[in-house]
Amino acid sequence: MDFFTTLQAVVNGVLTGALYALVGMGMALIFGVMRIVNFAHGTFMMLGMYATYVLFVQAHVVPYYSFPLVALGMYGLGYLIYMALLRPIHGQSDFMQILLTLGIGLAITDAIQLVFGADYHQINFPLLEKNLHLGSHITVNAPWVVSFGIALVTGGGLYFFVMHTMSGRAARAIAQNRYAAPLMGIHLHRVQAFWFGLGVSAAAVAGSLLLPVFYLYPGVGDQFTLKAFVIVVLGGMESIVGAAMAGVLLGVVESLTSLYWGNEWALAVDFAIFLLVLSLRPSGIFGRQKA
Amino acid sequence: MRRWQLALAGSGFVLSLLVPLVVHSDYQLQVLFRIYLFAALGLAWNLVGGYAGQLSLGHAAYFGAGAYGLALFTRAGMPLWAALVMLVGLAMLFALLIGGVSFRLRGPYFALATIAFAEVLHAAAKNLPRVTGGDVGVPVPALFHTHANRSFYLCAVLLTAATTAATFLISRSRFGYYLMAIREDQETALSVGVNAARTKLHALLVSAAFTALGGALYGSLFLFIVPDQVLSIDISNEIAIVAMLGGAGTLAGPMVGAAVLESASEIFKTIFQEAHLLIYGLLLIVVVLFLPEGIMGGVEAIVRRRK
Repeated sequence: MDFFTTLQAVVNGVLTGALYALVGMGMALIFGVMRIVNFAHGTFMMLGMYATYVLFVQAHVVPYYSFPLVALGMYGLGYLIYMALLRPIHGQSDFMQILLTLGIGLAITDAIQLVFGADYHQINFPLLEKNLHLGSHITVNAPWVVSFGIALVTGGGLYFFVMHTMSGRAARAIAQNRYAAPLMGIHLHRVQAFWFGLGVSAAAVAGSLLLPVFYLYPGVGDQFTLKAFVIVVLGGMESIVGAAMAGVLLGVVESLTSLYWGNEWALAVDFAIFLLVLSLRPSGIFGRQKA
Repeated sequence: MRRWQLALAGSGFVLSLLVPLVVHSDYQLQVLFRIYLFAALGLAWNLVGGYAGQLSLGHAAYFGAGAYGLALFTRAGMPLWAALVMLVGLAMLFALLIGGVSFRLRGPYFALATIAFAEVLHAAAKNLPRVTGGDVGVPVPALFHTHANRSFYLCAVLLTAATTAATFLISRSRFGYYLMAIREDQETALSVGVNAARTKLHALLVSAAFTALGGALYGSLFLFIVPDQVLSIDISNEIAIVAMLGGAGTLAGPMVGAAVLESASEIFKTIFQEAHLLIYGLLLIVVVLFLPEGIMGGVEAIVRRRK
């Protein structure tokens, strides 16, 4: 394989990786603020895809316009799920929280299958046919460029929100010390519900952006839950910047794996890296080393 | 164990062995086989998930090692007994790798590592057609040629009995108390000299061995296996749900859980077809929110209140 084929694979990997980064940032936010490993994360992404799909088929709204609406709706759903289901088991072991989110994921996935059936769906609109040429060797599909831009803005906005707003400060205070934060006047559950909703809607936005270039079926989210685990472990569990970098890295690694070994090995390589990082450097590649 | 409990377990075992005299329908025997198989798998999971309190969501790795081990070792020309020994060894090797990597870490890492390892095996089984037959699958030798359904059912009963006996003995031993001490408070257990990582690893090894035997039995009943059937995350989830629903860390829990879950899932299959996994999700939510100690724990609480 020549240099340009590899470079093309890296470019494709970065474009995919931006969406992974968004999914991973949502997961890292939820873990950082709540210490919950969200096993339903990919399911929320899948719900975002179905919502975008319905808006496209019923109202003919292209995903690049409908994603803010989807994000808002999924934020609301996340908020409700936190208040109704996660809040009652607040403070219980990882064990129970993982089982609960796993149950939420299974139930939603199968409810969607009951409503929409198990068929695969795809959407089509004119932009999908457009390609952009960078130099004479590198070609990128236009929807990927648009989704990359939106992911960049959304991810950047999320980072700004965490670092520079009152609500973000409250979230970081809880992440630092969940017992002291409420004593400082932070309403623990309201802040956690807010950030859980935001984490869910980040996953849903990634789903909206992925819909045009992927296919849709009820179980589509499962692989993204698994990828999100890999991303947050590589990124150091609670760091959203780490998650963003790990997401892009994962996209590139997958793209190169597909090029040299075949697409079917991508997920296996993800997990091999994951197990390697867990055994050698559990705090993640981009995380700070802790005891 | 009190005398009446021993009598109950003994008579339950004998009655289970006599069931084929009454039940002749192949379908009913297969459902009963599934109940006992998952009771055994749930009991095996319970050693790690219930007694030691470590959430494994990757028991499909050992289950698949059993099913694929039986298929591949006999294809390589091994006699049946050698293949059984080898497949148990293979599953224990996997347990050694997973436990070695993740038992040193705290928090959710063990659960994540178990999933990751099972998914690597799943992908490997799919993508190495020359070794595993890939997505097309691989034939598994029949353990029984005559009266297959009855024989498989009896084997599942025996496996459940063996796993129950092992769990009982472990739960009364020093090893078992170490496991429960780790579950309750790892720091305290460490401070009194329990080697937590090694104790958890030993529990995982025993658990993997029984799970592999269950996988071999399952594979042989179907005579043909594909990766999505024996190595998928659905198997891991089902095993964990059986134990959690019945009551993790109890002896009778997995049996109760298997009976409830498998019957419920048979009923749901006729109503919802493909979407019958919905019941798994709903049951998990109900268990975590309202029955954190499972059905057996709930029953115990009611009995205690009466007294």
